[in-house]
Amino acid sequence: MTTLTVAHDAPELRMPRALPASPVRFGGVLRSETIKLRSLRSTVWSYAVLILVSFGLAALMASTIASTIDGAVPAEGQTAIVMQVSSFPVALGQLVAAVLGVLFIAGEYGTGMIRSTFAAVPRRLPVLWAKTLVLFVATFLVGLVSTVGAYLIGIPFLAGSDVSAPLTDPDVLRAVMGGALYLALIAVFALGVGTVLRNSAGGIAVVLGIILIVPTVLQLIPADWATNMIPYLISDAGLGGLGIQSDIPGSLEPWQQLLVVLGWVAASLTAGAIMMKRRDA
Amino acid sequence: MIEAHTLTKTYGSKTAVNDITFTVRPGAVTGFLGPNGAGKSTTMRMIVGLDRPTAGRVTVNGKLYADHSSPLHEVGALLDAKAVHTGRSAENHLLALAATHRIPKRRVSEVIELTGLESVARKRVGGFSLGMGQRLGIAAALLGDPQTLILDEPINGLDPEGVRWVRSLVRGLAAEGRTVLLSSHLMSEMAVTADHLIVLGKGRVIANAPVAEVIGGATRVSVRVRSPQASVLASTLASPEVTVTHVEHDLLTVTGITAESVGDRAARAGIALHELTPITASLEEAYLQLTNDDVEYRTGASARDLEMTR
Repeated sequence: MTTLTVAHDAPELRMPRALPASPVRFGGVLRSETIKLRSLRSTVWSYAVLILVSFGLAALMASTIASTIDGAVPAEGQTAIVMQVSSFPVALGQLVAAVLGVLFIAGEYGTGMIRSTFAAVPRRLPVLWAKTLVLFVATFLVGLVSTVGAYLIGIPFLAGSDVSAPLTDPDVLRAVMGGALYLALIAVFALGVGTVLRNSAGGIAVVLGIILIVPTVLQLIPADWATNMIPYLISDAGLGGLGIQSDIPGSLEPWQQLLVVLGWVAASLTAGAIMMKRRDA
Repeated sequence: MIEAHTLTKTYGSKTAVNDITFTVRPGAVTGFLGPNGAGKSTTMRMIVGLDRPTAGRVTVNGKLYADHSSPLHEVGALLDAKAVHTGRSAENHLLALAATHRIPKRRVSEVIELTGLESVARKRVGGFSLGMGQRLGIAAALLGDPQTLILDEPINGLDPEGVRWVRSLVRGLAAEGRTVLLSSHLMSEMAVTADHLIVLGKGRVIANAPVAEVIGGATRVSVRVRSPQASVLASTLASPEVTVTHVEHDLLTVTGITAESVGDRAARAGIALHELTPITASLEEAYLQLTNDDVEYRTGASARDLEMTR
C-alpha cells in the first residue's frame, strides 16, 4: 500500500462565510449520481469492455456467417443476418450490464457510502430514481454505441457475400435500438435486485441466475407449464425480438416482449424502493 | 439544537437505546460518552434518520432530520469514517455529496483545504489511513456549513497533531454558536474538549451535566500521602468517615478528609510526611464509576491502578 501523507500544519480556524442554503432537488441528486457513476474506475472499465467485446463479437460473427454463405441470400434472410450480427453482442453485454447495475447500489451498501448518501438525501427514494435514470441513460448510450458499432463492423464482412440491409430498415433498427434498450433495462432491473439484497456478490448471483440459469432449467423440465413460462422470462422476452433467438412457437409480439421486460423491471424497482425506504441504513 | 424525547431503539430482543431524553444546546461542545455498546452511535444514526427509532423521536432545530429541505446545511455528520466508496477519490466523493445541495465546487476546495487533504484529494480513498479517512469525514460534515455538527469518534486514528486540530475545530465551531455533539471513548479527551457531558451506559442516560459537575458529583476527592511511618499515620487518621488504603509500604490514599487536615494531624502526631497531594478525580474515574455496575471493584483503587486496568 502506498503511504499517503497529509499536511500536518492545521489550517487556521476560519469558518468560511455561510453558504446560502439551497434545498435538495431532484436535479441535484441526478448530478450527484452522475458524478458517482463517472468517478468509479470499475464503471468506466465495464462500459469499455462492453463496447470492445461487442465489436469483437460482431466481427467474429459476421466473418463466420460470411464464410458459410453459399450462393445468393433472399432479402428477408439478409435482414435476419444483419439483425443477428448487430444484436448478438447484447447476449454477452447483458451480463456486464447486470453486474454494473448491481454494483451501482450494492457497492454503496458494501462500502458504507450509502450512509453518506442518505445523510445528504434523507428521503432516500430520490436516490433510487436518480440512479435508475442515470444508469438507464448511460447504459442505453453505451449499448447504442455497441450495437451500431457492431452493425458497422459487420457490414463489410457480409458485403463480400452480397448480404446487406440498411440501418434504416425497421427490423435492423429494432435490433439496434432494442438491443441498447434491453441492456439499459437489464441494468436497471439489476439495480432493483441490488437494492433489495444490498450485497454485490449475492445480487450478481441472483441476477445472472435469473438471466442465465432459470431459462435453462425451464427448458430441461419436460412439462408444458415450464415451456409456457419461458417467453415470460426477462432474458427470453428481451432477446426474443432482437433476431438472436430463433422464434419459439407461440412467442410474443415485440410490444408484448417489451411489456414483459418492463414488468420485471417494475417489480424489482418496486421491491427495491420499499426496502430502501423501510430499512435502517 | 438537538432534542431527543423518549428515544428507543431495539434490534430484535436487544435494546440498544432505552428511552432516553436529552437536549444538545448550541454554543457549546456536548460530549457523548459511554463504553462500547452504550448506544452512542445508534443514537447519532437516529438523529440523522439513518436508523428509525422504535419509539420516541429526535428532532434537529425543531424538525425531523428528513423533513429539512436542506439537510446538509442543518446538520453535518461524521458517523463513520468508512462511509465512503473506497474506489472513488476524496474530491469526487465530496463533489458527489455537494451536488445534491448545489453546493459550489469552491466550497469543496475550501473543506479540502480546511482539513488538510489537498495532497491526497485526487487519490482513491481505499489507500487512505484511518486518520485521513477521519479528515475526509470531517470535510464532508463541514461541506454544507451546518449549524449543527455530529461527530462520532472523530479523533479515532488521528495523530496527536490531528487530535489537537479536531479539538480546536470543535471549540471554534461551538464558539461561533453552533451546536456540536461529539462522541469519544477517550474520556481524557472529553475533559479538555467538551463543556457538557451526556454519559450513556447500556442504552440509558446515566449523567447529563456540565463536565465539572460530572467529575465533582461522581467521585470523592482523595489525598495521597507518603510517609516513612505510613502505618502509624494510618491509625492516627482512622475514623468512621475516613478510608485509608495502603498503596505501597510508605504510600497511603486517604479519602473522606482534606489534605490540610491530614497535614495538621500528622504534625500533631509528629509524623514526617514526604508527600501530601490532593487528588482530584479525573473524568475517567468519574466515568468508570458511572458506567460500571461493579462499584466494589473500584473502591479504594488509585488513579494509577485505573490507568493500568484500562
